[in-house]
Formats: sequence, C-alpha cells, structure tokens
Amino acid sequence: MMNCGYASRNLTAISCFSLVAAVCFGSGLRAGETDKYETQIRPILVENCYGCHAGGEKNGNIALDEFEGDVRQSPALWQKVLVQLRSRSMPPLGEAGPSEDQRTLTMSWIKSDVFKHDPTRPDPGVVTVRRLNRIEYRNTIRDLLGVDYDTNANFPSDDTGYGFDNIADVLTVSPLLLEKYISAAKAIVNQAVPIVSGVAPRRTIPGGEFIKEVKNDGLAKLLNELASKDETPGNRFGRPVQGPPKDDPMLLTMSYKEHTIGKLTTNVNSEGRYAIEVNLKAAEQFVDNIFDYNRCTLTFRVDDELLVNREFVRQGNEDLSMTFDIRMEAGDHNLVFEVIPTTPDQPQVRYLRLIVKNVTLIGPAGDAYLVPPLNYARYFPKPVPKSTSERREYAGELLGQFVTKAYRRPVDNKTIDRLVSLAESVYGNGKETFESGIAQSMTAVLASPRFLFREEGFVPDADGGHPWVDDYSLATRLSYFLWSTMPDQELFQLAAQGDLRTNLDSQVDRMMNDARSSAFFQNFVGQWLQSREVESVTIDSGAVARRESEARPGMNATSDVDLERRNFLRNKPASELTDAEKLELEKLQNFRQAFGSRNRGPNFDEKVRRAMRSETELLFQHVLKNDLPLTDLIDCNYAFLNEELAKFYEIPMLESLNGNEMRLVKLPEGSLRGGILTQGTFLAVTSNPNRTSPVKRGLFILENVLGSPIAAPPPNIPSLEDASKQRDGKTLSLRETLAIHRENAVCSSCHNKMDPLGLAFENFNALGRYREKEFGKTIDVAGMLSSGEKFSSVTQLKKAIVDNHKQEVYYCLAEKMMTYALGRGLDFRDNYALDNIVQRIEQSGGKAKALLIGVVNSPQFLKTRIKVAYASSLRE
Amino acid sequence: MTKRTPMGMKRRQFLRGIGVCMALPALESMQSAKALAFHPTELAITASGAPLRTAFIYFPNGAIPAAWWPAATAGGGDAKSYAISQTLKPLEPLRDSIQVLKGLDNLSADGGRDGGGDHARGNGTFLTGVRLKKSASDIQAGVSIDQVIAKSVGDSTRFASLEMTCDSKRQTSGCDSGYSCAYQYNISWSSATTPMSPESNPRSIFERLFGAGNPGERNDSLARRRNEQKSVLDFVLEDARSMQRRLPSSDRDKLGQYLDGIRDIEKRIEKSERFGAAKDPEIETPAGVPDTYEKYIQLTYDLLFLAFQTDSTRVASLLLAHDGSNRSFDHIGIVEGHHDLTHHQNKVEQIKKVQEIDQWYVRMFSGFLDKLARAEDVDGKSLLYNSMIIYGSGNADGNRHTHSDLPIVLAGNAGGALTPGRFVDHRSKPLTNLYLSMADRMGVQDLKRFGDSTDRLGDL
Repeated sequence: MMNCGYASRNLTAISCFSLVAAVCFGSGLRAGETDKYETQIRPILVENCYGCHAGGEKNGNIALDEFEGDVRQSPALWQKVLVQLRSRSMPPLGEAGPSEDQRTLTMSWIKSDVFKHDPTRPDPGVVTVRRLNRIEYRNTIRDLLGVDYDTNANFPSDDTGYGFDNIADVLTVSPLLLEKYISAAKAIVNQAVPIVSGVAPRRTIPGGEFIKEVKNDGLAKLLNELASKDETPGNRFGRPVQGPPKDDPMLLTMSYKEHTIGKLTTNVNSEGRYAIEVNLKAAEQFVDNIFDYNRCTLTFRVDDELLVNREFVRQGNEDLSMTFDIRMEAGDHNLVFEVIPTTPDQPQVRYLRLIVKNVTLIGPAGDAYLVPPLNYARYFPKPVPKSTSERREYAGELLGQFVTKAYRRPVDNKTIDRLVSLAESVYGNGKETFESGIAQSMTAVLASPRFLFREEGFVPDADGGHPWVDDYSLATRLSYFLWSTMPDQELFQLAAQGDLRTNLDSQVDRMMNDARSSAFFQNFVGQWLQSREVESVTIDSGAVARRESEARPGMNATSDVDLERRNFLRNKPASELTDAEKLELEKLQNFRQAFGSRNRGPNFDEKVRRAMRSETELLFQHVLKNDLPLTDLIDCNYAFLNEELAKFYEIPMLESLNGNEMRLVKLPEGSLRGGILTQGTFLAVTSNPNRTSPVKRGLFILENVLGSPIAAPPPNIPSLEDASKQRDGKTLSLRETLAIHRENAVCSSCHNKMDPLGLAFENFNALGRYREKEFGKTIDVAGMLSSGEKFSSVTQLKKAIVDNHKQEVYYCLAEKMMTYALGRGLDFRDNYALDNIVQRIEQSGGKAKALLIGVVNSPQFLKTRIKVAYASSLRE
Repeated sequence: MTKRTPMGMKRRQFLRGIGVCMALPALESMQSAKALAFHPTELAITASGAPLRTAFIYFPNGAIPAAWWPAATAGGGDAKSYAISQTLKPLEPLRDSIQVLKGLDNLSADGGRDGGGDHARGNGTFLTGVRLKKSASDIQAGVSIDQVIAKSVGDSTRFASLEMTCDSKRQTSGCDSGYSCAYQYNISWSSATTPMSPESNPRSIFERLFGAGNPGERNDSLARRRNEQKSVLDFVLEDARSMQRRLPSSDRDKLGQYLDGIRDIEKRIEKSERFGAAKDPEIETPAGVPDTYEKYIQLTYDLLFLAFQTDSTRVASLLLAHDGSNRSFDHIGIVEGHHDLTHHQNKVEQIKKVQEIDQWYVRMFSGFLDKLARAEDVDGKSLLYNSMIIYGSGNADGNRHTHSDLPIVLAGNAGGALTPGRFVDHRSKPLTNLYLSMADRMGVQDLKRFGDSTDRLGDL
C-alpha cells in the first residue's frame, strides 16, 4: 500500500506508543535543548491542534501530547504533522488554524530539530542491493544477448512494495527462483550462442512466397452454389459469425472448402541429401456450439515425390511440423501444396483453413557444406585457434568482454581466469567444442549474483559529504530508472572516462529520446497510476450496462449469478425442471434478451484496454518530453486517442482519428475529458467488477495525486454491499448509501474527504464511459473538497486541484518518482530532497523536466550513506 | 533421419524396447531394492518391503455421469457385485484391481463469488482442495497432495516426483474467465505460488530419467551434466562469497538467500550421485512428441511405467489434457472439439460423442494398468498390486460444470493396504479426505489435514 505522505506504514508503531506514553511524557527532555519546543512550538500546538489531538483525543490516531521520551524521537509522527501543515489540510475547514508564521516556524522546527537535517551534509539514505525484477531481467537479456526470454511465463511474479515492483527490500530470492535463474541461464545461452562452428545451410521459405491458385473448376462451382444456399451461420446468441480474417501475406492460407494449389520453384545449388521441414497450422474461427464438419486432403510434393498425403478435420488451431529426408539434384525444383475439399456438402461455419507458415530446406548434408550458424560472428568474431595457449587467450578475450557487460562494470582478472578455467574444463577433454565451453561459462555468468544483483561501488566525496556512487553504478542506476535495462555503450563509455556525472542532464535528455524510454512510461506511470492493471481488471460490462438501463426488473444486479443460474437451468433436462424453475428460467431469459449482449454498447475488449493504457502513458510522455506544466496531467484540453477509444468514450468523431494508431487530438469544447482523472485507466481500475466505487476513486486521488493518505479503516467494518441499501422500501443510489455511511462519526472523518472526490466522477461508469443516469435516476456529482472549494462538475474539480493544490501534486509526484528511481520507500530523512525538487519545479513554472532532472540530481540518486571503507574494498 | 518418416518409426522401436524391458522386471527391481538398503526407511514401502508408488492422472472436462456410474448395487448389498458401467467397460478385465469411488466432492472448485472459470478451478484445485485466487497474474493456489507426499518420501528415489502432460502446447494468456493459465495447465503445485510445470516432451522425460544418448552412453551423459552443473555452481558460489565480503551488512541477507538456494541445489546433485548410476532401460530414446494423440498418450504412460518399474520415482502426476481442452478425436470419428461437445444441450448425438471420448480416455488408462498388472515386482506381486493410482477429473458433469460426485477411479492394492474390486459411494465427502488416507499409506507422518479435508476416508 502506497501513500504519498508515507504515513500509513507507521500507524501501528504510533498506536503502540500511546499505551505507555502518558507515564513517560516529559521524562526524556533535557533542559536547554527543549526550550524551543516548550517555548515556541508547543504553544502553537496547544492553540491549534490539541482540541482533537491531545488529552485523550486521538483523531486519525494522532496524539500530540503522548510521547515516549523526547518528542524529537518520533520522526514518523512529525512527518505526518509536516505533511498536514505543508498541504494546509489541518485543521479542518471551519476551524481556526495557525498563522502563516506559526506554520512556517513549526515546519522548520520539525525539519531541523526532529529530522536533524544538516544542509551542509545531506543524508542520501541507503539502497539495499537490488535484484533485477522480471521486466528488468527480460530487457537486460534482450540487450545483452538478443534473446527475448519470457520471464512472465518462467519466473514467479515479483512482490511489490510502496506500489512498485522494483523495491529492493521485497525483491527476494527463493530457492525456487534461483533454480529458475539457473535453468533460464542455460536456456538463454542455448538459444543465443552457437556451440559449433558449422551447421548445414538452412533456408526458410515463407508460406507467402508460394503462388496460390484457387481452382475455378467444377468442384469450385459446386462449392459456390452450396455456399450461397447456406444459412447465415450464427451462434446461439444470434450474433452473426465474423467472416474469415484477411490472409497474412507472409503465409500461404488454404481453405478446407476450396480446391487450392500453392506452388513455388526453388533452386538448389548442390546435389545432396536435404531435410525439408514443413511448418503448418490448422486454423479455425471459434463459434460457440456450432460445429464444422468439413474435411480436406492436403498433399505436398517435391517434384514428383509425394511427401504428405493426409486428411484433415478441424484441429483447433494446432501447429504441426513435419520433417522429411530427401535427395535433391542441383537445379530447379517444384514444391507444390494442394488442398482438395472432401466434404462439399458441409456448411462452412468456422472457416477451417490450413496455413503454411514456411518450408525450410536444410542441407545439403556433409562437412563440406557446413556454414557458420546464425549469430556465430556476434559471439565468435575470429576462427577458433588450434593451440591450447591461443585458445586460452581467445577464451579470455571473449569472456572478459561478455562478463564486463553482464556485470555492468569492469571485472577483475581473477574472475575472468575462473571463467576461462570453467570453459577449458568443458572443451579440454576433446569431446565438446570450444564454443560449448564458452557457452558454459556464459551460463555461469548469467546465474551469478553479480549479474542478478546490482552491486554498486562508491567513491569518497572530496568535500567530506557522503560518498558518491561510482560512475558505473550511476550508469546502471540511470539505465534501470529510465530504460528498465542495462546501460548502453555510450553510458559505459562515459562511466569509463569518469565523465558521466558531469554530463548527467544531457544523458537524461538523450535517454528520454531513446525508444527504450517507453519502459519508463510503462513501468513508472503504469504502476503509479495503476494503468498497467487496466489490461487485466475484471469488469462485467453486462452488469455495468444493466445499472444504467431504465426499466430494470426486480432482479439481482450481479449478473454473473444470473447468467450461471440461467445456464444451469437451461442445461438441465426439461423433464427434470420443476414449475418454479421453469418460471425462473423464463424470467431470466427474458431479462437476458432485453439486457443481453446487444445492449452492452461497445465491448470492453483487449483493444480498448490496450488503447486506454497507452492513452495514459502517452499523456505523461507528451508532458515530459515537451516540458509542459505538470498540471496538464490533471487538466488539459487534449488527449491521445484512436478510433476505437474515441468511439468507446463517445467523443464526437474527430476527423483525424482513423484506425488503430493513437494520436494527439484537441478535445471538443466543453468535453469533460482531459487529464489522467477522466481516463479509462483510472476510472476502471478503481471500480468493482459490477459498479463504480466512489470510495476507491476518492482514495486513489488522495493517495496518488494529492499525497494525502488516509488511515486504514478500523477492523470489522461491514462492506458497502452489506450496509443497508434499502430504506423505506426503495433502493438507494450509491450517493445515498454513502451518505448513510458518513452519518457514523467513525467513518465520516475520512469519508468526508474521499467520498466527494469519488462521487464527482459518477458520470463515468466502471468502464470509463460517460453516463447521465443510474437506475433511471439522474446522477448528481456536486460536492466540496475538504479544503472548502465547491464544485458542481468534474471540470470544476480538476480546476480546483490545479488552481489551489498543485504543490501537493508536485510533492506527490516527486515522492512517487523518487521511490521508483531509488527502489526504496522514502522516510523523513528524504524530506529535504523532496523540498528541493518541488522548489525546482516551482521555479521552472511547474514544468515537467524539472521533476525528472530534480530526481536525478538529488543526493539520494547520486550518493549513498555508507562507510567509505567499502568503496576501496570493492575493487578486488 | 529416415526417409519420409515423421517420428512414427522410432516409436515402434521404442515400444519393442519396452517389451524387452518387461521381460526382466524381477532382476531389475531387485537391484533397486538393494539400492534402497542404503537408506532404510518406512516411507513408500509396502508391507512386504517393496516400493509403494502413487500416481495422479487427470482427464479433462468430466464425464457423462449417466454412462460413468455403475448402477447402485442391489439393496446396498455386496459392493463387489456391481455391474461395470458403459464408460468404464475397458476396465472390466481389471475390475479386481480397481475401486470406483462415488460421492467425492471438491467444493473448492465451485464458483461461489468468483463466478465463471470452472475449468481453471476444476483443474487447479484437483490435487490441492484450496480455492484459487481469481487473477490472471497474481497466482495463489495450494500445495498439491503429490508434492506433500514427495516431500516426505522423495529421498528414497532418484527423483522425488515426476510431472508429465500430453498437452504439448500451452496457452500463456487469455485462459478461463480471468484465471491465470497456470491454473489450467498445472495440477501439481510445490507451493501456493509455484506450479510444478509438467514436461510434455517424451524425449525430455526419458532423458531426464535415464540420460541422453544411445543405450550405454546415458550414464556418462548424466554424469557430464552433473559436472557441468557443479562447475556452474562452483563459479557462482565464489562470486557470491566475494560479493558477500564487499557488501555492507544490511545487504548480506539478500546474498544469504542466494547462497541458501545454491546449497539446496548442491544437495540435490549430491543426492543423485549417492544413488549411483541410473538404470539404463537399454532401449532407444523416444524421438519427441508422436504424431497422433493416441500414440502420444500411450508413450507417456509407457514412460510412467518405466519410471515406476526402475524405481526412479514413487510419486507422479499426469495431466492428460488441461480442463477445457477442445481437441478433436478424429481417430475415433469425432471431429468436434471435446469441450464444445460437453456443452451438449441435452442433444443425444452430442452426449454420445462425449461418452465415446470419455471411454477412449479410460481405454488408454486401462492399457497402462494392464502393463503394470503384468510386470512383476521384487516381492513377486505385480507393480499394480504395489501401486495406488488415481484416475479422475476436476469436473463431474462437464455440461453443468459441477464439482460434486467427481468421477474417480482408484487403481491398485497399495501392497495390500487397499481393498479394490468394489464400487463404493462415500456420500458427499471431500475428495481431500481420500488424499489424506493415501498420504497415510505412503508413510507421510503427522499430516493432520489437507486442503478442505474433514477426516480420513474410511472403507478403502
């Protein structure tokens, strides 16, 4: 759980204090030192805060008169006070608060006396040694070896902390993960690194190169006639079946229903034995409950030799691979596929088709014809020498380069010697190739903790401050922050020259303009705004639609239950149905008909979800790359949309929006959209499967936009669903239900903040689509912020945030980005860094680059709190 | 590569090889018993001291109930006199070695508040009895019974357990109703978050058990692989130690986790060395995935048979196909997809086809049992007598997605600890009660509960 003010994780600790506090109060104070607190600060607190936070009152679980020992020994508590003062959220509206001078005085006392911040020697904090997460591992392997290894399928998922999946403390190594690392290392090296110097030549002919001819003979005519007589196939919901997909030009696609020939003439240079590999797929369009009984015969000939002669029925999109061993003369050869339909009178339902992906010719066999395998030169730029000593030297050269890149820093000779010995132990016996020895050592490198963990080196600060991380470590910090992958050549080079720190800002610019920076938007933005989740969040669009349909019969709104029940009854033999069940089934069926799939509006499908996700990422990218005001994230008059998403949102069609590509468009005058809060991502990921959740939406904004965390609810609270939704026999709207909820004082202190924020978005349903009514009633979105601004539309709410709360947004963003950049949660020692970043943003007029540059230039990012002795011990 | 022969020929040679292998079981297994003498244990041993084996075999999409269940025995009388049902007919010759178990439920697979996704649930909870977390990315299941048993008895054999499947291609996204595909393609789980991915390539299974290469070369290849593994471990261990020295103390925990993991793997390698050379079945290595489903399933059963016969492991699981599987069975004249057909809308024609598929799966299973029944174990009994094999599905009626009255057959005598030859209705007991009782017989100590179990299952 992530809170911008990093308060909630300390809650338990604070409530423990209070047990012993009264007894101990005051006992640890020493004369002189406490003067400032007693004489200046405490009176301010007494005047402004004690009403609710002292003398047994502990609103929000905060008591300002119960300290164990010295008041200054409770930085976590003062952190909360600081955040409240900074954002002017306390005292609550309508109660007199401290003067501006009192506020500034208290804040600076907290910073200097409680946090003991020393401006001449800022504390950069410590980052635990970080393991690569699944995404970083995958990207690193891609850049190191050119292999795309699917870590999502092969590794267990990473734990998250503070809302991000790159937090060092929670990235553990279980024995299982270690085993997976070792097998991954083997699989990756196997795939990338050739272990022989020569293989039989291999030529892959894409299916699309075959010349396709559909025979217009008697058979075809008959088929056409029959096809025209077919009823339009449809599934049981009466939806028409889609036609066949367009043929991929790279493939040879042959329908089971058409007499088709696919031909190709290819030239073979040398006579000899060849292996021919035919890679096929038997595809179909799935249709619910209607079968396709078509069959066809497939033949494949090379010249006159019949290699395949096989009948096919539907195969459920199965891949097939067949290999044949044949002799070929030098010269031209004809490869011919033929599909002959064998069931002309069967209706075509699922568009069964055979797809030739490719035909691969391997050969001729024999040592004389061997060629270097794919990628051979990438790993072995020179021919393998014969003598032992030369081999040793070559192995050292190859492995030295590889391990330096893999460990992201220069590696000592001892390590390289060990790698060479390992390789020799494999190829030395003469049974295995030199290349397999190298591959074995590379496997060891990928399994090493020095690859899997980001070990850092340090250099002393000449001015007596905390040590710098060395340039290689800085390169690594930068590249994993902005690219989620290892440093590239340029970063390495600058690090080697010791020039990276002085070129920091220009490198950040270069890196943000590199395609790899998309990882930053996917992973940082995707987690900060949870937009990554939109692709998997479960929302039942039928249930959502039913809440918005006017005439709703007295039926349960949770549709899954309805649907399951209906299917259950429908599948029961009619003879076994009781009368009551028959009636129920009829009712359910009528209901489904009226509010079934056809009334759902556009599908909340993968395409829409993906478009939503990129909409959010692109907005952030746009603001950052063009150095626009950060407040554009909250409110702006433009958006990134494609045709599908514009239709989904029902934004009047903008002419430029055709097709799949996301484009920057100006929103129509008066549009409610614009900014992250009216994007599908936020609106959907904060919803329940069948409805919106104003509480979750409000909480999200407080935690992720305004940085004003809310304490967790007390235990044993019934969920909203269980709370009474009926009053005087009528169903209540969400707004009414929440209002009842807030009548309870325990609930109101927090829900007064959350609910109005969330309710402001009720014009957007759980899918992020606009609506005016729910259950036939017009939705009311008006409300008031806890700071007093009234709003009657979401546009006014956005404006209020931008006008009056932008500093809170800056702090929140700075903390989120810093957490992601450092891979650790922040604590009170990091306040000064956040202050500096926010100051930088404000000085730049609220621009986005100031945020990024501020994070990268912070001591937190450049330095570490660690004993300098380690710096020198790092080099072996 | 032989001319114009995709895969088929080699398999025939392989099967011939198994015939040879079957001719000398006693001698082979005697050696395995001797190997055991190094590790005296009460685990996974029958009363006569022979190895006791257990396997869990999963078939997809349930079975047509009316054709699966035998008619109740007359007047609740002698459970032995039941008439075998239509679907189970292929097991008739082995009826004295099997028990048909009715009345076993897996409520953790019911929809409840999670809604759709009965295939993922039926599959993912079959061996665990623990509700699944409905999520596509955040996997939370339970530990499966085979793994619980393997953790206890695994040290007795070269492999603690064996996980196999005849689903050669697996989907990685877009599976059942928002459930991760992991639930639908795994029945075996070593922890709530760790599926034991089953191996689908018969060649890899064979090479893992007996080593790569031709007969006679396999032990060398296993030893070489172990050495390679050890040299990699040596290297990373030294890297980890040097790193440990350089890191501040706060970071040492992280490296500690890494070092612990390495030691785990080292221990496993040591263990496999302790067992000495693997028994080489002296037959040709299977070429890969055979070209028809029937051959594929037979070959996989053959490998399971070999693993038991050579006492390479005593615990195995086999997912014949994931639940929801929609393959066609054109070799028995059924071209529609299996899953499509199970939603039969009470159409007689469709029900009949599903029943034929159910029966075909049973026929394959009976071929496997038959082989076990004909092979003699060290104590003169058959391998089947000294085994305990579950054959079942996580859906009962595939049409209605029910998870009560699951179709379950328990084969073998567990060396005399079971009373097969009967049809017994256990009347709504958790399936996990059965697992608990099986774990007892395998020698697992102090397992008080398992999944949603309420008690041991009596009358076995």
